[in-house]
Amino acid sequence: MKAVCWTGINEVSVEDVPEPGLLNRRDAIVKIIASATCGSDLHLIDGYVPTMMAGDILGHEFLGEIVEVGPDVRDRRVGERVVVCSIIGCGGCHYCRQEMYSLCDNSNPNPGFLETLIGHATAGIFAYSHALGGYAGSHAEYVRVPFVDVNAFPVPEGVSDSNAVFASDAVPTGWMGADIAGVGPGDVVAVWGCGGVGQMAMLAAKLMGAERVIGIDRFPERLAMTEKRIGAETIDYEKTDLLGTLKEMTGGRGPDVCIEAVGMEGHGTGAQYAFDRTKQALRLQTDRGLPLRQAIHACRKGGTVSVMGVYLGFVDKFPMGAVMNKGLTLRSGQQHGQRYIPMLLDRMAKGEIDAAHLETHPMGLDDGPRGYEMFKRKEDGCVRAVFYPDR
Amino acid sequence: MTSVIKSVAAASAGLAAAAIGRRLLSRRATPNPAEWYALTIECAPEVLTGPDRPGELARLVEEHDVRFSEAPGGRGTEVAVRTSEGAPRERLRAVKQLIETGEVLRVEGQTEGHRTLVGRTVLPGAKRLMRRGIR
Repeated sequence: MKAVCWTGINEVSVEDVPEPGLLNRRDAIVKIIASATCGSDLHLIDGYVPTMMAGDILGHEFLGEIVEVGPDVRDRRVGERVVVCSIIGCGGCHYCRQEMYSLCDNSNPNPGFLETLIGHATAGIFAYSHALGGYAGSHAEYVRVPFVDVNAFPVPEGVSDSNAVFASDAVPTGWMGADIAGVGPGDVVAVWGCGGVGQMAMLAAKLMGAERVIGIDRFPERLAMTEKRIGAETIDYEKTDLLGTLKEMTGGRGPDVCIEAVGMEGHGTGAQYAFDRTKQALRLQTDRGLPLRQAIHACRKGGTVSVMGVYLGFVDKFPMGAVMNKGLTLRSGQQHGQRYIPMLLDRMAKGEIDAAHLETHPMGLDDGPRGYEMFKRKEDGCVRAVFYPDR
Repeated sequence: MTSVIKSVAAASAGLAAAAIGRRLLSRRATPNPAEWYALTIECAPEVLTGPDRPGELARLVEEHDVRFSEAPGGRGTEVAVRTSEGAPRERLRAVKQLIETGEVLRVEGQTEGHRTLVGRTVLPGAKRLMRRGIR
């Protein structure tokens, strides 16, 4: 079958690979209908995640049809159209039982690297390097899904493929960003990054009753999309003094909740950004953190900063003084998607959530390298390229 | 090819940095390295000490010092194995998986793209390191 593979730093190619088979009794094989590119893939492709190996199949945000199930699968059936959570839970460990699936004890078969780097191993993630399990990804015709009863969710009829595919990652990640920050009626919420996750965090904040939602980015087409599709206000940080504008917009208080949906390769302006970029390029810091620092600086006293962008290692000049003296609450985590996906699919069926507009560039698997190039460079207004193996 | 070498180099550099970091930390902060490797299994102690316990656990107990104690707050059973080796840790984790999920998760044997010569040479050792951790 065809698969989009990582073949080296900034190199992606389409390869012919063997079809996957069942490896465990609770596995299923899913025939891919749609598989989306995600901003977090770019950290892998750029070589900032050190445990990628040439030949790894990419892709973790996907929708498909179950074509084979293992003997111990109880709930899922062949023929179901399912969305699969990008983060793998086992369903049986302490964390999964507490609905903190991304902290699963058992779904990462390669826990050694993370135990050394961050103290503990977290859940396995499809196609997210060998440190996170080394699972083959979904930019292929078929993928193997472990613990399928825990990780796959039937998509209601009437919810389109282009909408449902984002219930795998962007929608639940955005939702969780607002949920763990405790967004409620009357809140002012600022979101750094108007990509898929950022827009979905804004939509979630609105649905949770936030009174004002402000999106921050620098790409005019993403800002326009955020205003039109989400109904949020926006700030172009290249055109205005971001921190001053946020204060002005919030009567000097600052946003009640700041959601960071950017991650370790965030962009910015000025000397601090140039310094961060240089240090990261020289591997003196693993992660650039300008948007995170801005979020902490902007947040109102006693407010909450919710970090949904992906960080891997260390951020320099972390403003602990602001966190401590302003009494901020810092929340974070990879998404506990399984906790939210059934509710989000219901909302999609009712028309409350529509993420289909994020799919700006649907294409076939053969176009994988071009899709990633467009996505990375934001060419032609690309927000997400989505691969459809049957096209 | 150069980028493949670069990526392998990046992977090795990452692992090496982690190893050095750990070495430094362990020298400075813990003069006596921990002798026991401990984890918590979501089950009552009897499941792990009774006659129906998994065969792998019974073998581990024969070969190593293993101790069991009830975790606080109803969080199952703490199990510790006295070892400085990677393999017994991996076996204890497999026991935990078996009890909590009914199976031991595999990724070996899954499909993958073309591995380069460098990749094929480095991968088995790197995977073992990532499975067992740096000792």
